[in-house]
Amino acid sequence: MTNRYVYGVVEAGDGVDREIDAVGGADRIYTIEHSRLGAVVSDIDTTEPERTDEDARRHDDILRELMDGGERTIVPMQFGMVFDNDRALKNVLRGGRPAFRRALSDVEGRVELGLKLVREEGAEVDDDAVRGAVDDELEELAADSVEEGLFSDRLVLNRSYLVDRENREAFDEAIGRLEAEFEEGGDLLVQYTGPFAPYSFVDVHIGAQ
Amino acid sequence: MFIVDDLLVRPFVGIVDTLHTLALNELYDVEAIEDELKENQLLYELGERPESEYEETRERLEAELELAREVHEDLASGRVEVKT
Repeated sequence: MTNRYVYGVVEAGDGVDREIDAVGGADRIYTIEHSRLGAVVSDIDTTEPERTDEDARRHDDILRELMDGGERTIVPMQFGMVFDNDRALKNVLRGGRPAFRRALSDVEGRVELGLKLVREEGAEVDDDAVRGAVDDELEELAADSVEEGLFSDRLVLNRSYLVDRENREAFDEAIGRLEAEFEEGGDLLVQYTGPFAPYSFVDVHIGAQ
Repeated sequence: MFIVDDLLVRPFVGIVDTLHTLALNELYDVEAIEDELKENQLLYELGERPESEYEETRERLEAELELAREVHEDLASGRVEVKT
């Protein structure tokens, strides 16, 4: 297995080398460093890994574990990023250095949290009023937010938030108040997920050029 | 005659081809199937959809998605023959 599957990019010195169930049946993740950055990788025998549920979960779990406790900042990669040699990977770290540094700075000390509001079957909901209530509670507590796709007619809101770790508790409490308010009304279901590696807030796609 | 045939027939076939391709795109709409998969997952996670129904729906949609992707690959490569 000479190909490298990439999970994310960290500052050099923040690397890792440990045994863990990794994508494609690998049992170890480690770091390839270059240009004062490190790519967290595992070995894989293909350049086009199939996105199975199991491997998608491993990818996410590894990123979550790398971030755990907030000691390490990581720029997460989407599932499926593979390099067929170390030189190509190092070239990308060198060429993308300004973008990686910017992304590391943007997400340092922050986590991504997801909020979906789903209308009960057949319920009439004032979408604007709901969004207004959400903004009143969460806007000031989040460093950033992005709208995700409304992939179902029942979705009223689908948003990802970037939240400073120090605001996490207050954010959880605000979500709790919204849950109580919406679920008491009986028209909305709330799905609050995370923390995730901040995929939605980094715009670095390596290997694309 | 060749010129007349060419002028009369080719635009007609072109329109039929286009309509046929649009129909295929609608029938095998990858994005719509992906959305249905996400909705199925969401409703299951919220406890709105029982596991058996979730699994059944997921298997059906994944098969539809695979077929839709194949059709689009074939369309892009010109391997789909449009019969008029």
